[in-house]
Amino acid sequence: MNSLAEKYSTTSPLSKLRKAQQLAEDEELSDAMWGSSAGFGSLAKGIPSFTVAPVPDPAAFLRLHTDDHADPNCRIKIQHGTTTLAFRYKGGVIVAVDSRATAGSYVASGTVKKVIEINPYLLGTMAGGAADCQYWETYLGMHCRLHELRNRERISVSAASKYLSNLVYSYKGMGLSMGTMICGWDKTGPCIFYVDSDGTRLKGDLFSVGSGSTFAYGVLDQGYHWDLTDEEAQELGRRSIYAAGHRDAFSGNTCNLYHVKQDGWHFIGNYDLSKLHYEGPNNVAGQGYGYDVRTEGRTSANPPPAATATA
Amino acid sequence: MSIMEYNGGSVVAMVGKDCVAIASDLRLGNQALGISSNFQKIFPVTDRIYVGLPGLATDLSTLRERFRFRVNMYTIKEEREIEPETFARLVSSTLYEHRFGPYFIEPVIAGLSKTPSGGVEPFIAATDLIGCLNFAKDFVVAGTASAKIFGVAEGLWEPNLEPEDLFETISQTLMNAVDRDAFSGWGCMVHVITKDRVITRTLKARMD
Amino acid sequence: MLDMHSVPQQQPQGRQFNPYTENGGTILAIAGADFSVIAGDTRQSEGYSIQTRYAPKVFRLTDKAVLAVNGFAADGNMFVKKVRQRLEWYRHAHAKDMPIRAIARLIQTMLYARRFFPYYVYNILGGIEEDGTGAVYSFDPVGSYERETCRAAGAAQSLVQPFLDNQIYFKNQTPAAGTSFPSHLPLSTVLSLVIDSFTSATERHIEVGDGLEMYVVLARESTALQGVEGIGGVQEITMTEEGHRVFVIRRELKKD
Repeated sequence: MNSLAEKYSTTSPLSKLRKAQQLAEDEELSDAMWGSSAGFGSLAKGIPSFTVAPVPDPAAFLRLHTDDHADPNCRIKIQHGTTTLAFRYKGGVIVAVDSRATAGSYVASGTVKKVIEINPYLLGTMAGGAADCQYWETYLGMHCRLHELRNRERISVSAASKYLSNLVYSYKGMGLSMGTMICGWDKTGPCIFYVDSDGTRLKGDLFSVGSGSTFAYGVLDQGYHWDLTDEEAQELGRRSIYAAGHRDAFSGNTCNLYHVKQDGWHFIGNYDLSKLHYEGPNNVAGQGYGYDVRTEGRTSANPPPAATATA
Repeated sequence: MSIMEYNGGSVVAMVGKDCVAIASDLRLGNQALGISSNFQKIFPVTDRIYVGLPGLATDLSTLRERFRFRVNMYTIKEEREIEPETFARLVSSTLYEHRFGPYFIEPVIAGLSKTPSGGVEPFIAATDLIGCLNFAKDFVVAGTASAKIFGVAEGLWEPNLEPEDLFETISQTLMNAVDRDAFSGWGCMVHVITKDRVITRTLKARMD
Repeated sequence: MLDMHSVPQQQPQGRQFNPYTENGGTILAIAGADFSVIAGDTRQSEGYSIQTRYAPKVFRLTDKAVLAVNGFAADGNMFVKKVRQRLEWYRHAHAKDMPIRAIARLIQTMLYARRFFPYYVYNILGGIEEDGTGAVYSFDPVGSYERETCRAAGAAQSLVQPFLDNQIYFKNQTPAAGTSFPSHLPLSTVLSLVIDSFTSATERHIEVGDGLEMYVVLARESTALQGVEGIGGVQEITMTEEGHRVFVIRRELKKD
């Protein structure tokens, strides 16, 4: 039954692949490519088209060559490993992310921008495939602008996230990988939606996504309540990312912190996690979040500095 | 996932002018999860020999005791301290005894040998997990960050470094290498072995 | 009577479509205040065999943008060809060269168009931004990108990148009291770091060696060339009269 439906459906991944394959054979030379609308010029005609491998099962082909969980020796390593979090409180939305990208055990980059500034009122976070998030959230930004032009009002966070969710859902099973939080402020107030490539779309107050999310949740859950002040909320976001960066091998380097208020998002700062470990957010030596600072003098294995000096 | 990357960790040893240095990170992990940031991987064998044992942590404990036992037996039988090269051969043969079910450790050895004239000569060596010895004249590396350490060491190391310069070279090499390795880091420890004394320092390194 | 047990059973055989191979080599780019250096070795290998000792991996796109490609050579060459074609169309439509940040976005869309049948290519784009600063953009095979100051990619990226972290970003170093590290290095320092990086990588990586090509892109009225007169084998390959200049410096690397 399912296969029969798929055969005649025009929106199933299979028919999409067939369509894309035809397009590839036609050579991807549209008029738009000649002019300045390069690439995204195909926007007017809907979703851009993609080349697929000329094999019976392109999704399996892609998995074979790119999935580094199944096969660490596969050639094309898509970057993984992340900690991202966002939470809603009375003062708006806090978005905090780390900046590490790993390929296998190699730290490919320590300066990744995992918060994607979709427009001045919308932020998207990046977990999973870096290119998938970057590309589709940029694409989402263009459609949000079209919505503004057509309807003379800003798109709601709910509508924007649903647009993204429907978009990635139409590629389900083809190997997209993204776990993102769409954060913003609209008529309803501060708002967060979790959207992933499986098609999940959830509204909520508090989310954390990525390999370090369990560590972030630990700090986040015990410090979170609705009536946080702005300073407390920012500190909670920063402290949670630090915890994840410390314990999770695939997260770390720096923390990027954003605050979404009624007038749009504000970039609060970029914090080196190593500095936070030793000096804390106020850059005072010995005031860091670090383990030694917390346990110094508590056990004979870690005596206070005075005791070591006299010994 | 490779068993050699299960716990993470890296060791490097370098030759200087009448001195050697050996350094390691301090991480013990369970795959991506960091467990300890004070996990020693380098141990003294004699006053002038240190051995680093990166690899699978459970085999590290076993091998350390095995080496201690065998070095003690050697000292008792021979009534003298073991020389670095002899110790390297001991390490090699101990590992090769388990050729078909190896310990997942790649030892790195650093020490000063005695010369007939009464001076000292720097000695470093490393083996693979079944005991193939590599006597290098410059530096040896092992562990999850080995490729990264090779790259930095090749760029920073030069012959005949004095102890303080060697310390700086090996520290910079190790720290910058482990910062690019997800499974190494969480602190570093360096030992510089000279004729008169061993300088041991813990480095203020990145903790993420 | 046929002994059924001695007849080899016809086993089902799996055949997989594998259009990719790895051709080794390493590329590297460093941005300065008003210049950019993009370098790559020239060895092309497959497994333990060297296919050729001179296969360029670095290509001049315009007088202010140079692209280095690494990974699968066939994909790389085809990709560069397609990027150049798009840049030529742009030139015909707008009577000017595409700015580098636009080229970066173009490369992203071109790579992502092959999201489900990727080009196995790691790209590094180096050149001069419209504001006259040196820029480096690095890409993954499916098009995620970021502007950086320095980036190594390819077979020896894990050997070269931590060395550059130390020498370009001064990672794990503390400046002497009362001083600070320079935010941008002079061209002479950058060139010697590039040469050191590749000689080091050649020593320890079998897929790196034979030759080194370093492209230098200079902004208008850049004085970065002062102090590097001593370096031999410099060849100017500037095409337009707009003021940006492109040079290529070729060096030998060990061939063993």
